[in-house]
Amino acid sequence: MTGKQNICSRPLSSPATRRQFLYGLGASLGSVALTDLMAAETKPAAGPLAPKTPLQKPRAKNVIMLFMEGGPGHMDTFDPKPELTRLHKTESKRTRGLETGFKFFVGSPFKFRKAGDTGIEMCDQWKYLADPDVANELCNFRGCTAESLNHPEALFHMNTGSRLGGDPAVGSWVTYGLGTENQNLPGYVVMTELALPQGGSTNWSNGFLPAHFQGTRLRPVGSPILDLAPPAYKSRGHQRQFLDELAFLNQQHAEEHAGHRELAARMESYELAYRMQTEVPGVIDLDGETRQTHEMYGLDDPDTEAFGRQCLMARRLVEKGVRFVQIFSGGWDSHDYLERGHTARIKSVDKPMAALIKDLKARGMLDDTLVIWTGEFGRTPDNNKRGGVYSLGRGHNADAMTMLLAGGGVKPGVVGATDEIGAEAVECKHPIRDLHVTLLHLLGLDDNKLTYFHAGRFKQLSQFGGELIPELIA
Amino acid sequence: MTIQARTLSPLHLVSLSLFVVATFINCVPAQAAEPTAEERLFTLRVLPIFKTKCFGCHGQDPNDVRGDFNMLTRKGLLAGGESGESSLISGQPAESPLYQAVLWETYEMPPKENDRLTHDETEFIRKWIAAGAPWPDAETQLRIQKDEWSVPETADGVVVATSGGLADDWTYRRYRPSDIWAFQPVKKVNVDQLKTPDQHPVDFFIERKLIEASFQPAPQADPRTLIRRATFDLLGLPPKPEEIDAFLTAWETNPRQAWSELIDRLLDSPHYGERWAQHWLDVTRYADTGGYSNDYERSNMWRYRDYVIRAFNQDKPYNDFIIEQIAGDEILSRQNSGMPPSSSQRSSSELLIATGFLRLGPWDPAMVKNPEARQMYLDDVVNAVGQTFLSTTMRCFKCHDHKFDPLPTRDYYRMYAAFAGTQLAERPASFLPEENLEGFQQGRAHVERLLDFARAEKQKLLDKQEAAAREWYQEHNLPYQTPAKRKNLPDEMKPPRHVGLNHIEQGQLKVREQDEWIWNRRLERYEPMVQSVYNGPDPKWLNARKLRMPGKVDQNVELVSHILTGGSLEAPGEEVQPGVLSVLDLPVASEADDPYVIGSHLEGRRLALAEWIADPANPLTSRSIVNRIWQYHFGKPIAGNPNNFGVKGAKPTHPELLDWLATDFVANGWKFKRLHKLIMTSDTYLQASHHPKLETLRTSDPNNDLLAYFPTRRLTAEELRDAMLRVTGELNPTIGGLPVMPEINMEVALQPRMIQFSLAPAYQPSPTPEVRNRRSIYAYRVRGQADPFLEVFNQPNPNESCEIRDDASVSPQAFTLMNSDLMNDRAIAFALRLESEQESLDSQVERAFETAFGRTPKQTVRDRMVDYVQRMHQYHSATKPKETTYPTTITRSLVEEFSGQPFEYDEILPAFENYVADKKASDVSPTTRALADLCLMLFNTNEFIYVY
Repeated sequence: MTGKQNICSRPLSSPATRRQFLYGLGASLGSVALTDLMAAETKPAAGPLAPKTPLQKPRAKNVIMLFMEGGPGHMDTFDPKPELTRLHKTESKRTRGLETGFKFFVGSPFKFRKAGDTGIEMCDQWKYLADPDVANELCNFRGCTAESLNHPEALFHMNTGSRLGGDPAVGSWVTYGLGTENQNLPGYVVMTELALPQGGSTNWSNGFLPAHFQGTRLRPVGSPILDLAPPAYKSRGHQRQFLDELAFLNQQHAEEHAGHRELAARMESYELAYRMQTEVPGVIDLDGETRQTHEMYGLDDPDTEAFGRQCLMARRLVEKGVRFVQIFSGGWDSHDYLERGHTARIKSVDKPMAALIKDLKARGMLDDTLVIWTGEFGRTPDNNKRGGVYSLGRGHNADAMTMLLAGGGVKPGVVGATDEIGAEAVECKHPIRDLHVTLLHLLGLDDNKLTYFHAGRFKQLSQFGGELIPELIA
Repeated sequence: MTIQARTLSPLHLVSLSLFVVATFINCVPAQAAEPTAEERLFTLRVLPIFKTKCFGCHGQDPNDVRGDFNMLTRKGLLAGGESGESSLISGQPAESPLYQAVLWETYEMPPKENDRLTHDETEFIRKWIAAGAPWPDAETQLRIQKDEWSVPETADGVVVATSGGLADDWTYRRYRPSDIWAFQPVKKVNVDQLKTPDQHPVDFFIERKLIEASFQPAPQADPRTLIRRATFDLLGLPPKPEEIDAFLTAWETNPRQAWSELIDRLLDSPHYGERWAQHWLDVTRYADTGGYSNDYERSNMWRYRDYVIRAFNQDKPYNDFIIEQIAGDEILSRQNSGMPPSSSQRSSSELLIATGFLRLGPWDPAMVKNPEARQMYLDDVVNAVGQTFLSTTMRCFKCHDHKFDPLPTRDYYRMYAAFAGTQLAERPASFLPEENLEGFQQGRAHVERLLDFARAEKQKLLDKQEAAAREWYQEHNLPYQTPAKRKNLPDEMKPPRHVGLNHIEQGQLKVREQDEWIWNRRLERYEPMVQSVYNGPDPKWLNARKLRMPGKVDQNVELVSHILTGGSLEAPGEEVQPGVLSVLDLPVASEADDPYVIGSHLEGRRLALAEWIADPANPLTSRSIVNRIWQYHFGKPIAGNPNNFGVKGAKPTHPELLDWLATDFVANGWKFKRLHKLIMTSDTYLQASHHPKLETLRTSDPNNDLLAYFPTRRLTAEELRDAMLRVTGELNPTIGGLPVMPEINMEVALQPRMIQFSLAPAYQPSPTPEVRNRRSIYAYRVRGQADPFLEVFNQPNPNESCEIRDDASVSPQAFTLMNSDLMNDRAIAFALRLESEQESLDSQVERAFETAFGRTPKQTVRDRMVDYVQRMHQYHSATKPKETTYPTTITRSLVEEFSGQPFEYDEILPAFENYVADKKASDVSPTTRALADLCLMLFNTNEFIYVY
């Protein structure tokens, strides 16, 4: 009797739960056992990424997560701190954080105003998000706290629930729980800048979940998926002949090894690859989009083109049935020259994000799609000198941060608060794990039930469980 | 106080019970009424459930009582929560919301799947409510508990003696003996008395269970399958056609002897060590860099990798292997101080290299305060030692007593304390004659070139800055001050920071500064240094960039260790001494009174721990390693979670076999080669991978736990690459040495990769095929940048110990195998080889099958493939592949944190200046390209990638 099998003998409350458990079991046994076990269910046999119905009624079906690597300053984006402006360049005696020596407060270089019916606050650099059509959809959550003060650990924490790195990413858990609608595309797609974020692919790794749930990176230049296309001198017809002969050899081999079902699964992965070769270029080819759409996402402006392209791609991917899309956009780590840095960063994402939300809404997709904009932590209200000079920037702050949520069952408005200088969250304060629990909940998944047996226990995204943040939910 | 009781043996349990009873008689006042059965039910069954599963949210924290439902008292239960409804209707469980909730009928309580109550547990609650839900007072509860604790064994299981938990409830909780099998002594099984005289001991255990299940073992596999299986198993390489022929001939005459000689030949091959070292490196998380934000190179780590390869090739006894890795430096100190060595005098370099094991975890203290950085290291190393050697996931009892296993958090911190003085350092250690120092000169020249470039570029920028600074001083009529001198002057007395540099140049300066020390650091590869440890107080500051041993180490430092409550540095609890796991009832050698405590000297803590782990009587150690060895032979372990033998780990499918193997392994000197041969000469190993009753077995034994047939496995990432290189004839069989840089996907090689403040330098492959085409174990392993080919075939992430590799078939594997440059280069190399060996297309195709699959094709298949190649020849006659070019410089772009604007800079790629590329499609004729299509296809087949 193995530990894994113990799972099955536990009392199980509903057919769906049972399926989920069998799924966890099957996936770890390989496709052979999976098929056997699934056959006993009412559901027809299907691969590990087949769409699954969640236990609870979902509010959202898909997620688009916009990850601002580096940690945007909450007091410079959506969480105004007039008190900091008053204290500007006066000494700070705060001891939290990593900066040591003489520290001084830094007021935000930006002015703030309210936007939309909810009166959500944003700095004046946000020109497109302030459009009431967009602002009315936004929820600004100010209560989240990180734990780590350095980038990779904090990135791992936000992306995988563990700051150590190596556990499954949120997107992996979600595709594990829900599968994906389009079997010809990956279920979990990641887009980055040319440079990978700190910690690299560990941020979208499947961890201990089977490899099917790994994030697939759509690369910004070159081949969108590594080696997606054959070398240029090999045509599609050439590849078809190759696959036919390969299938012949594999078939011959299978006859001598009857009953080894992993052989068939591997043969199928080649056919899927062949289909993906046409499907993927189709999704990322934006030529079919109208000129108006291109302009709306900012593809005609070098400042917004890169992120705009990715946001538009995200919409297309979700439209095609991709479950979880994540976009990383870096450069937010403003230790110095914050005004310059944040102005440029905000400009690069403002228009594309606003376009994404409007576009999803216009297509009736926003109700089903949860959009999240977040960094890995917030920034400090103070800074220390650099090279003996007052450097107008901010350090890393794990006690306060800011994020936006929209669509997918989220309640627009402001939730939570930080203290008067933005040093720490004081209202509706929740660690990252609670955000994860809430995210899963919106997708109809229960963090406590979406588990996988690994290293001696049932593991879950929140590590040891967390709380729902009801204030975020409409 | 904690009652320190010992062992599971009946004798001990009796004496424990006497002791316990005697204690209790003294401290519990006599009472009039005996507690009732219902009160006992509540105290022993129901209350513990409430405590562990309910009170956390419903009462423990008076400021945060969920749903306003306080369960701490009977009154609270009757009052119910915010709904106002009573949770408890005495005598009527079915009507009681509490009972309904634990059944998950109404509320689902407790809400976590992990915590969900078992049927037995909900029954206790039902019966208790049915009996009127009595809630005896605290005194009665105590009396009931103490009565219960005095009984060593009940229907609920046994009390297990340990150093004691944080609460008596934990200390005296009960375990089913079958759950804690791993902590019990290894059972001696006298197999000779049980098996038939001709039967192999392994087969006895396997066949016994098969017979119980009414199955026959599978027939023996054919010898062609067997030589392929054994060669991949022991070498990670395919057999050569001539080796197959020789083996088949020998098998004709005497199968048993042929098999035995084959195993001996393979075990003698130096490639054996490479293959089995890879398994060890999976578990221990080998990488050449330190991970996290800086991903600093650990420049001498390759020496540890080669140490492991040597250990397997030399058949180093496992007990020595353990001790050297955990405490090599302490053995060395002991040898150096003239104290009697624990065994024969060993090479000092070897001993230091071995401790590289303690340096394998990802670790970077950047932006982390010192105590926390130390804690991160210590937690990691304690867990690594536990998982690797004891199959015990130590993390599970870092914050609290173990939820399932008899492992108190005290023991976690005892082991933690054993490492409290362990400090990380690169230490000098001369090169050994057996170490491969090839390529030092070229390597150093390459790095120096890159270093000079970075320095020169940096200097240009600094010169520009200082010229502007001079100008500023002149304008302000002030004397020039160097950057160092002016640093602390008031703002008006000095030029602005980065004067004269625009934001692009500021960004470039930072990149060059980073590059300078990256290359400086890499020069250490060629120095006689090792990644090692020493004992001493915590250094004042930690930086993974450079960790050196101080000239003089304070040996008299007093280290005080505590239980860290909840795993938090801010909550030090009871003080602990360094020690070992008390549950094993295996004393550690020391002068301390407590048998499980190591003395408090700074030196020797790890050695004592290591010797305790390597003690022949340590049941976890021997079971752990034979389980792993078995796993790598059969693709599945006997106990299903090789890193976790605890209550929640999978139980052994053949516990007696596991114990017999463990006993036999230790009794025969902890030797691996003997164990391999023992396992491989069993009929179980020789079985075919198919079974006449496969369909039935699929249903009754879906995991093949019975081993009714040999489990099929997919080649690992490294085997796949190495096998192709062997088949194409490109493999360079050199053993050991500096990390090599195979050609990886060029898009990935040149893609920017963020590190702290900068971008990591581009990946530059080794300039010649001979160096690139070494075995995959020698490939440079960067935590922040996996080789995409190896990664897609499930090479594990080196941040986590990998107990068993995933082998899911996913489409990106198909992309890689069909389309990548790596694969197309191999296919062309294979085609060229075939053309050089055979004249006609017919014989080339035949030779292709022989070399790749170890068999000739059927004539019909051959003819079809010949036809395919001819068709492809026609196709390729009309194609003209583009020539491949490699860049010698690359322009990089990075978003500057100061400006939020991208800036560019150039990086040089000297590796490509005199690069000897593999033969590409454009270098060969349409004939070769057509044959290469077939070669590529063979590499893509199931036959090539699966081992039967």
